Amino acid sequence: MRDEAKSIARGLQKRDPDLLDRLIEQYQYRLFRYLLYITGDRARAEDFFQETWIRVLERGHQYDGKSKFEAWLFAIARHLVIDWQRTKKAQSLDALMDPEQERPLQIANESEPSPLRQVLAQESETNVQASLGKISAIYREVLVLRFQEELQIEEMAGVLSIPISTVKSRLYRGLEALRGALQEGVA
Amino acid sequence: MSENLHDRALQLVAKGRVEGLAQSESDWLNAHLQDCEFCNEHARQTDRALRSLRTAVIPLPADLASRTQFRVRLRAMELREREPKRRMLWLACAASWIFGIASAPYVWRVFAWIGQLTGMPKLVLEIGFGLWWTIPALFAVIVLLLESARQSEEPEWMKPSR
Repeated sequence: MRDEAKSIARGLQKRDPDLLDRLIEQYQYRLFRYLLYITGDRARAEDFFQETWIRVLERGHQYDGKSKFEAWLFAIARHLVIDWQRTKKAQSLDALMDPEQERPLQIANESEPSPLRQVLAQESETNVQASLGKISAIYREVLVLRFQEELQIEEMAGVLSIPISTVKSRLYRGLEALRGALQEGVA
Repeated sequence: MSENLHDRALQLVAKGRVEGLAQSESDWLNAHLQDCEFCNEHARQTDRALRSLRTAVIPLPADLASRTQFRVRLRAMELREREPKRRMLWLACAASWIFGIASAPYVWRVFAWIGQLTGMPKLVLEIGFGLWWTIPALFAVIVLLLESARQSEEPEWMKPSR
């Protein structure tokens, strides 16, 4: 893994176009899924997807190959979303997605299902997947990183720029929220 | 069975999925789950929830990868075109500074001569001499500002950041 990360770092330093093509192919599903989960909006996730790879090209020299490439990639994607949110609403992503705040990011009109919920509902015949869309994005994000991307808790702390203890507490709450949403969907 | 035991079991169910359990914790939890249907059902629900998260399928937009690859290649070409120009700019700045250092005594003599001619105070001459050194940096800043202004006139889809 370390060798692969080093060779990616060397390729990014040189802005190797073939390497970038390969990385885009390789990580397209995982990056798009992560962006969709944190933005809750398909069109926006698509925009951020393209923008993330432009940033990878421009800032590739900053990746040193000491950490997993995907952790660095997700950190770039997350920062783009946060920057965009800040310029738009002068608030941080965390504040926007915090369930204790007034309006979570993905819910523009609470009487209608969120775009994410619609996407998931379209794709699944059961309401199990649709219930994922009911969870606050801040918890969905940690669940995705831990259980889909299988990042270590320390790596997640790096991606999210938060202490390990906060990662853990979000994971515990997220897990409970996921279980609750699933139960609600079944009932 | 006491409430505390159930609380502990539920905490361990979550901890097992998030961080992993020590052997003693795992043994205790397994023993508890065998006797307690409520906690056992909770553990099953948690596993079901995680399974559904892991297997959730997200459809990818059509041609997302190829569209992105095209944009990235365009941007790479643009960066490659700009690189020699920028290198030239920094080389010119460096050469200018080196020349400035080498010619400093002569430039100071010119400033002193102008001072003698015009009767300007020495402080003004010293400030003028100091400003003389900032000319290469000012030149570089102007070029970079012009470049970023040109970039802001580019179509939306070509911009590096939103």
